[in-house]
Amino acid sequence: MNGKKSTPIRSSGALKGVRVVDLTRVWAGPLGTRILGDFGAEVIKVSDPRLPADRMGGLYGKLNRNKSSLGLRLDTEVGRRIFLELVTISDVVIENFRPRVMPNLNLTYDEIMKANPSIVMCAMPGYGAEGPYAEFPAFGSTAEAASGVVSMLGYTTDRPIQTGMSYADPVSGLNSVGVVLTYLRRSRATGKGQYIDLALADSPVCMIGEYLVANSAISYLPTERGNEHPDHAPHGVNRADGDDNWVAISVTTNDEWQALCSVIGGDRLSDSRFSTQDGRKRFEEDIDAVISDWAKSRDTVSIMTQLQEAGVRAGRVSNNQELLNDPHLAANDFFADIDEGENGLKRYDGQSIRGNILDKSEWKAGPILGQDSKHVLVNLLGYSEADCAALAIDGTSVFNDESSTQS
Amino acid sequence: MPNPTKNRERQADDLPLSGLEVVEVAQGVAGPFCGRLLAALGANVIKVERPPKGDWSRKIAPFLSDDNHPESSALYLYNNTGKKSVLIDWETESGIDTLTSLVSKADVLIEDWDVNYRESAGLSTEKFNSENPGLVEICVTPFGLSGPYARWKSTPIVQLALGGYLSIMGYPSKEPLMLPGHQPDYLAGLNAHNAVQMALFERDIDGLGQFVEVTMLETLTNLHQIALEMDGAVRVRNGHRQSSLSRRGFPPGVSTLPADDGYVTFGGGSVAIWEQLCLMLGRRDLSENLDLDNLDEIAELRCEVDEIMTEWMKGRTREEVFLDASRNWMLPVAPIMELHEVLADPQFNQRGLFQDIHHPVAGTAKYPTLPFVTSDPLQEFKRAPLLGEHTEEILGR
Repeated sequence: MNGKKSTPIRSSGALKGVRVVDLTRVWAGPLGTRILGDFGAEVIKVSDPRLPADRMGGLYGKLNRNKSSLGLRLDTEVGRRIFLELVTISDVVIENFRPRVMPNLNLTYDEIMKANPSIVMCAMPGYGAEGPYAEFPAFGSTAEAASGVVSMLGYTTDRPIQTGMSYADPVSGLNSVGVVLTYLRRSRATGKGQYIDLALADSPVCMIGEYLVANSAISYLPTERGNEHPDHAPHGVNRADGDDNWVAISVTTNDEWQALCSVIGGDRLSDSRFSTQDGRKRFEEDIDAVISDWAKSRDTVSIMTQLQEAGVRAGRVSNNQELLNDPHLAANDFFADIDEGENGLKRYDGQSIRGNILDKSEWKAGPILGQDSKHVLVNLLGYSEADCAALAIDGTSVFNDESSTQS
Repeated sequence: MPNPTKNRERQADDLPLSGLEVVEVAQGVAGPFCGRLLAALGANVIKVERPPKGDWSRKIAPFLSDDNHPESSALYLYNNTGKKSVLIDWETESGIDTLTSLVSKADVLIEDWDVNYRESAGLSTEKFNSENPGLVEICVTPFGLSGPYARWKSTPIVQLALGGYLSIMGYPSKEPLMLPGHQPDYLAGLNAHNAVQMALFERDIDGLGQFVEVTMLETLTNLHQIALEMDGAVRVRNGHRQSSLSRRGFPPGVSTLPADDGYVTFGGGSVAIWEQLCLMLGRRDLSENLDLDNLDEIAELRCEVDEIMTEWMKGRTREEVFLDASRNWMLPVAPIMELHEVLADPQFNQRGLFQDIHHPVAGTAKYPTLPFVTSDPLQEFKRAPLLGEHTEEILGR
């Protein structure tokens, strides 16, 4: 039962034949286009040729694998014309500039639609294309604050702390993929394009919908903080053996409670006060103290495994290095080893959607700026080698392409 | 440009997913959140619930009615807008036949059956697809159907622990902290929606559906702000500041600090923003001769700047800081908004992010709609169904 099925093997990648013009930077936008690239879309990342051309590993490598790079200035007449030519042969344009940037380049949706009425254009500004905050700068770290998520995060109700991971970015990146594909399917069927205005700050708002609904109707405010659950106990993290090692444990039913008691043993938990859910919630601190004593000399993996095998919800607190060595992720072929040339083979998180739609065999490293400029200009847009030389000289494009004219 | 005020007026047959038939047996948040998105974009989503109590999220607090009525769970109401509810007990022989017949006419099946349940209920991954080759079956589970954790149980805190998020939230001197609510489930729901759209895209070309899996653990692991490898560095939790790598500091200044009426988050991460922040604080000296490789110096500077910023915000409200820093200094800054402030925010409201929806048991509430606005308007959001409200309409009994 591994999710594979016996339909005919398809070529490779669900999105083969889709061309995406990617103007995004930083995180949310590049994540969205990277996901499209992972599934076989041809993602052409358009970057200012004046930026440094070094291939960067790390986050850049993670968010820009499976993309090509075209160096192109959009703020020159020639560069703008080439961009619109690229739009005419593409399916999707994605950008995450502040709202005034594209109009300042005379590249509004109207202009882009004139070049290609079927185009699906997704703008990913901080607060949206219009409105009182439209031009305010925003990052994932500030958009999460504006969304209300952070107001519920902290050890106490009077001191909120940020997620530390710029939560609005990954949520917005995931959102972009679904909505773009929705309208791309319709564009393929009807020829009709679409303009999508996906705001970074709106994305996390939709991840706490139940709290906003309840707040609007009955002024509900969650009072629990830290890792407390409103009804269940124990529910939290416990320190295990080692420097900063923790295991999350959650008990939600009487059966799970019995299982926890049998694993921990001894008589400190066989207290009648703890026999009901209400009692466990009321005497949560006493229970936590017993679990802490038990856990502190044990290692995280054995605690988690022992509890899960007994039927108790438990998971160790993994850091990024431990995730890379997680046996479950490895067993499911989750990781992707990508050849980054002189940096060698680097291991990245792969894709989290499984099935025939994913084919990792053609995955490639994040591009050096301009490595595909010649391919795009010559093979896709019909420019000559001499044209490219002129574009290089006047700085409209940049060419770092020892081996990119093939394909 | 999209006009949100004219949004949501569209007829159902013009919507991008008009005509798409979806059956949802998934419960809780992940699968239903995926179904909610499909419904909002025009699909006909039939939510199949098992009698007598239906989806488990109906039992989850908070409730909007005084008597904790199961038709008034905010979690259920939010995640099931625009769907129809049909009661079928698919654990009985006649029930599974009814479900199979419903799914045989569907384009998409959203389910959350893990290995243990599939075995006990006799549900193979081929069961529905073999009768309906065009079916896209999306299976959303915490750990997936294979691998050493496949039979394990999960809950948001366990998922956030294993997925690496707890390790980067909270103060280093205290225990790691979880994200509020059901974030792993929502993230997996978004991912499931993406998977469905990809499988439908492929089906548009060759007519074939498929069985696709999305797991919470892989979804979370996929969304870290760093590449996991980072040459061996460990990312650590850093309290009210951006979590940092053990071997390299971000430029300082990314932190959440108090104003007069609450807290404000200052974004950052580049030298240019750092310099601009120092200019705003009237402390240009702090951005001169900055040595980003000197970690001790950076750590010291962070604490110093926290104090300077806290002092600078004394006597100012969050809104004053937000408007001044954003408008006049072009800095990425935002107030930590309370829930009622989010609901009243002029920017969100101008975009039509919220809609009042009336429900016969739960009454009227404001619901978040979709995080995007489109040039072709979408439909109004419709309320979540009552348990079995559409059984007769769909099954004729």
